[in-house]
Amino acid sequence: MEFEIESPKNITELCKTIKSYRSKSFRLGAGYTDLLMELKKHTPRNLTVINLAQLKDISFSSIRSTTKNIQIGAMVTASKLVTDTSVEQPFPVLQQAAHNLASTQIRQVATLGGNLCTASPSGDLICAAMALQASCEIMNDDKKIRTLSIQDFFIGVRKTALKKNEFLFAINIPKNKKETATLHSGFIKIGTRKSMECSVVSLAFHLQIDKTGKIIDAGIAIGASAPTVKFAQSACQFLIGKKINSFSEKEKEEFANKVLSYASPISDIRATAWYRKEVLFNISKGVLE
Amino acid sequence: MEITFTLNGKKTTCQIKASATLLELLREALNLTGTKPGCHEGECGACTVLINGKSVNSCLYLALNANGKEITTIEGLTKPNGGLDEVQESMIKNGAVQCGFCTSGMVLNIKALQLETMQNKKVPGSGIKNSPNRNEIKKWLEGNLCRCTGYVKIIDAAEEVFNKGK
Amino acid sequence: MSKKLKIIGTPVPKHDAKIRTTGEAIYGHDIKLPNMLYGAILRTQHPHAEFTIDVSEAKKIPGVACIITADDVDTNHIGYKRDHPILKKNEANCCRDEIAAVAAETKEIAQEALKRIKVKYKVKKGIYNPHEALKKNAPQINKFSSGKFENKNIAEKFFYEHGNLEQEKKNSVAIVKRKFTLPRMTHACMATSNITAHYTKTNGKLLLYSSTQVPFLYQRDMAHALKMNPSDIRIIQPIIGGGFGSKLDMHPFEPICALLSIKTGKPVQILYSREEEFIASPTRQPMEIELTAGVDKNGNFTFREIEIIKDNGAYTSWGATTPFVIMQAFSSLYKIKACRFNALAVYTNNVFAGSFRGYGNPQATFALERVIDLLADEIGIDKAEIRLRNANTKGEITGQGLHYDTCGHKECLQTVIKKLKVEKKKVEKKNRFKRGIGYASMLHVGGGAKIYRSDGCGTTLKIDPYGFCTIITGSNEIGQGSETVLAMIAAEELGIELSKIKVINTDTDVKPWDVGVHASRTSFVAGNSLLGAIHILKEKLNNKAAQLLNEKNKNFTYENGNIISPSHQQIALDKVVREMHFTEPNELAIASYFYEPSSKFQDKDFKGNVSGTYAFASQSISVEVDTYTGNVQVLDIHVAQDVGKVLNPLLLDGQIHGGILQGVGYALTEELIFKEGELLNPNFHNYKMLTAADVPNIHFYPVETNDKQGPYGAKGVGEAPLIPTAAAIANAVCDALDVEIVELPITPERVLKAIAEKKNNKKNK
Repeated sequence: MEFEIESPKNITELCKTIKSYRSKSFRLGAGYTDLLMELKKHTPRNLTVINLAQLKDISFSSIRSTTKNIQIGAMVTASKLVTDTSVEQPFPVLQQAAHNLASTQIRQVATLGGNLCTASPSGDLICAAMALQASCEIMNDDKKIRTLSIQDFFIGVRKTALKKNEFLFAINIPKNKKETATLHSGFIKIGTRKSMECSVVSLAFHLQIDKTGKIIDAGIAIGASAPTVKFAQSACQFLIGKKINSFSEKEKEEFANKVLSYASPISDIRATAWYRKEVLFNISKGVLE
Repeated sequence: MEITFTLNGKKTTCQIKASATLLELLREALNLTGTKPGCHEGECGACTVLINGKSVNSCLYLALNANGKEITTIEGLTKPNGGLDEVQESMIKNGAVQCGFCTSGMVLNIKALQLETMQNKKVPGSGIKNSPNRNEIKKWLEGNLCRCTGYVKIIDAAEEVFNKGK
Repeated sequence: MSKKLKIIGTPVPKHDAKIRTTGEAIYGHDIKLPNMLYGAILRTQHPHAEFTIDVSEAKKIPGVACIITADDVDTNHIGYKRDHPILKKNEANCCRDEIAAVAAETKEIAQEALKRIKVKYKVKKGIYNPHEALKKNAPQINKFSSGKFENKNIAEKFFYEHGNLEQEKKNSVAIVKRKFTLPRMTHACMATSNITAHYTKTNGKLLLYSSTQVPFLYQRDMAHALKMNPSDIRIIQPIIGGGFGSKLDMHPFEPICALLSIKTGKPVQILYSREEEFIASPTRQPMEIELTAGVDKNGNFTFREIEIIKDNGAYTSWGATTPFVIMQAFSSLYKIKACRFNALAVYTNNVFAGSFRGYGNPQATFALERVIDLLADEIGIDKAEIRLRNANTKGEITGQGLHYDTCGHKECLQTVIKKLKVEKKKVEKKNRFKRGIGYASMLHVGGGAKIYRSDGCGTTLKIDPYGFCTIITGSNEIGQGSETVLAMIAAEELGIELSKIKVINTDTDVKPWDVGVHASRTSFVAGNSLLGAIHILKEKLNNKAAQLLNEKNKNFTYENGNIISPSHQQIALDKVVREMHFTEPNELAIASYFYEPSSKFQDKDFKGNVSGTYAFASQSISVEVDTYTGNVQVLDIHVAQDVGKVLNPLLLDGQIHGGILQGVGYALTEELIFKEGELLNPNFHNYKMLTAADVPNIHFYPVETNDKQGPYGAKGVGEAPLIPTAAAIANAVCDALDVEIVELPITPERVLKAIAEKKNNKKNK
């Protein structure tokens, strides 16, 4: 593993560095828990790593509230997502996804941006952020920001919509609706052991319920079931307007089938496609039980 | 390139390769072999060190990002007079050490949890709010593999450290 | 020995725990010698291929000291069947195959050199299934095998029987026949395999810093491989980061490292990467066990008929001999009137297994205990009751000739049955989570195992003029705590503080002979050996003390560093030693003793009392199965084990917990996954070792039967806790779901499949 490194200290320097590497091979490094693993296996010749770990800008590594959104900087670590009250209370799905990510040691350094930009089909934070219908703030080397819905951010296995001169700056999660009285929000991660798993299948759900028990907003996303994490639109539509406590067995199965319609899993050494579908159906049903 | 950091309480300056990991720096350049190489891929936790009091896998941490930080390795837990840290004492007393290859990492990860809980705040990465209970300790140690002990005595040792503090 | 014990039986922390907790312990990975080179091994890219190799480019890289291939060395084959070339020539037969090795000034240069070695492969279709290998037209896989069996791909063969099988079949009211499939599990020691070799050209001596667990056998094997005199090879064991049986065989990387040092005249170190460890270190034997067993109308077991096909891999390791232990479980666990046992180890192009804690017994016990549940169902008898009815008893001599002078089997069973008070909830139709319970027992050697001509261990004991004691023992420490137990015995018998006892056990030039760490033998055999040496040394000390104190009655006791006469005269131990040294007849306070257990080498029919004593254990386990995901959560594990006598409860607990969690992993998650001879999961990410978060509640109840043969009555304990765990978990899962499990590990996917099959079967009916 041999590479050169640039460590910009602020966004201006970062943009300048990216610009100067336009025609060269470079990678962005944040928490390095994925990148170093990849580079230890294979490092392309003449690679430079642009090191984000020494950026001083607070905007990159903080969680803040705007009128409509909670904005989370790309360099926010998984461990911060676990404990920050502005995440834990309104968005249990994200807190749980972060809490079940890898290990204590990894969570201390692994970042939200890293998890998103790795764009793994089984990315846990991706799955949670998608259920929360987040959007991505993308900055280019001229410091211009564009916003993309999280669904459009992922274009294939380990592929994002980021151009070479762009980087993920933050994500915006819309605040819960005012009418929301209770939340039914959580992250289900399927694996063979309790920890240190890469999801065999994952399901993120975030249901907002008014005081009458009616579902007023729903976000369902599934991971490790398709080339990218998927937002189960029709399953969400199915839920909105219904009472959370009144689902019949048939309706639960209908809902599960709608979730399943977004899955096109593969068989690999972790599990077969059959298992992934079977378990996805079961846990989807379980969300309504 | 040159980095300067505090290593086990001492200011240290060294020349490193850009791509060097902290684990390589500690073991190969600084001869601190108490930090163990178990997998080099962040899966086993044997190489855990404390960076600014937080437990991190040194095999997946770039040495250059240690610049300006405080690093504690297992060697730094032993007191100058040879006395041991209470986590180490508890590990010994509870029979938590067998082959010992995971022990450095285990001790430091338990130490990290202790340092966090001392501040009596929520513990990052854990959801632990006060003194951790047995299940919270188990979850906290999820990234430290051990093949000998079945973890039971290690969890006991950690629990004893926290119960003492109560 | 009726006196009250002061140290034995108390929770003394590990003798060497301190240095292992501070980072001061020196493991193989920590050794750095002046001018040391780094070795690396090139392995075949294809499990089965012909190849040609060109190292000329790689040799030109600055910093490369030496590159060797099969053409550069003159060596003998290794393995107990001598069917394993150290470096392979022209043909690769499994994905581990070593085809070249490099020694270079840095690790990076060594890796770069490996990349620059040019190998041309002609890929061949391998045989990865033992049944395929047994077909008549199958090619011969291992060209170096003795070929003494009827089929050229049979590596080893075992046949055993006792009793009248046909008669017992007639006496049976129910007969169950099932085929079980067992996976490859690997040791995954936390320290990867390592060796540092240092050859001195001027005197022709080879010094090896090696983590072998059998240094004296290793010394002999190494000498044979390298065509050297064994005594010119000195083995020093640095602190070992986990063993569990993985270091019983000598593996090719070890003589390769020696060869690199011999060629370069410099120290050479080889450290496995974690990926290499998964690919190239041993595994537990995968096998198919077909078991037919019967029960009579009174619920007594009648017969067992066993057919085993083991995947031997491309070369033969000690793993091929696991049927020694497997047949013991079938012939002698629970009372059994007739038994017929056939086992084949069959060459394939897969990786070869090795020895692993339990040595075949977990596989056997899984099949055996599953079938006991099925037999109980067949005749409508309670699963606890059928086990109690057939449990082994004290005084029993089994069909195979094992003598149970002490036997805690029934007490173990009774204990775990009583302790498992599960509120097995009434399972409603719609309940997602289902609970079940399962039982299993095990029998294992508890007093060594005489599989070599000697199962002995030597001890030299020294007391210095300051009253400190040095135990020089043939046995070795691989983390299990043997140093501590030996120190405790010496402290107990000599009345010396533990801090004044030193244990020397790492150097073949110094220590007396011993077979090595295996078969749960160390406390038993090395303990007895130490007691023998203490007895001799005490006679010398007593004589001197009697002379100094003018005492006729030499019935001395040893306490607090003093030797005390029956008439309460006392003299300091160190003073007695000084007087021995400095006054006539001027002798050393040293004694040596070689202990050989009373066990017998088995005859050609595998009959005979192979161990000094036998250990028994039972486990009862409750599980909760999530029928939505297939995840099995182990709730409580109750384990009662006949340990003879508890020597150190703290260390004993450690052996129990560690063994059990390995057993849970074997049951539920751990499996090396191969496709066409290639390993698909060579990392901790996809080889699912359990974490602290997965630990169930383990409740341990030691059963003391005080075996006359054992030190203070103790039996071997190390392997036992792992052996029945997978069986009991499988029984609990079957109980919870009313399905059949015939394969390990019981992954979530296999659980959902079993549930789905059950549904389909119901539909079809």
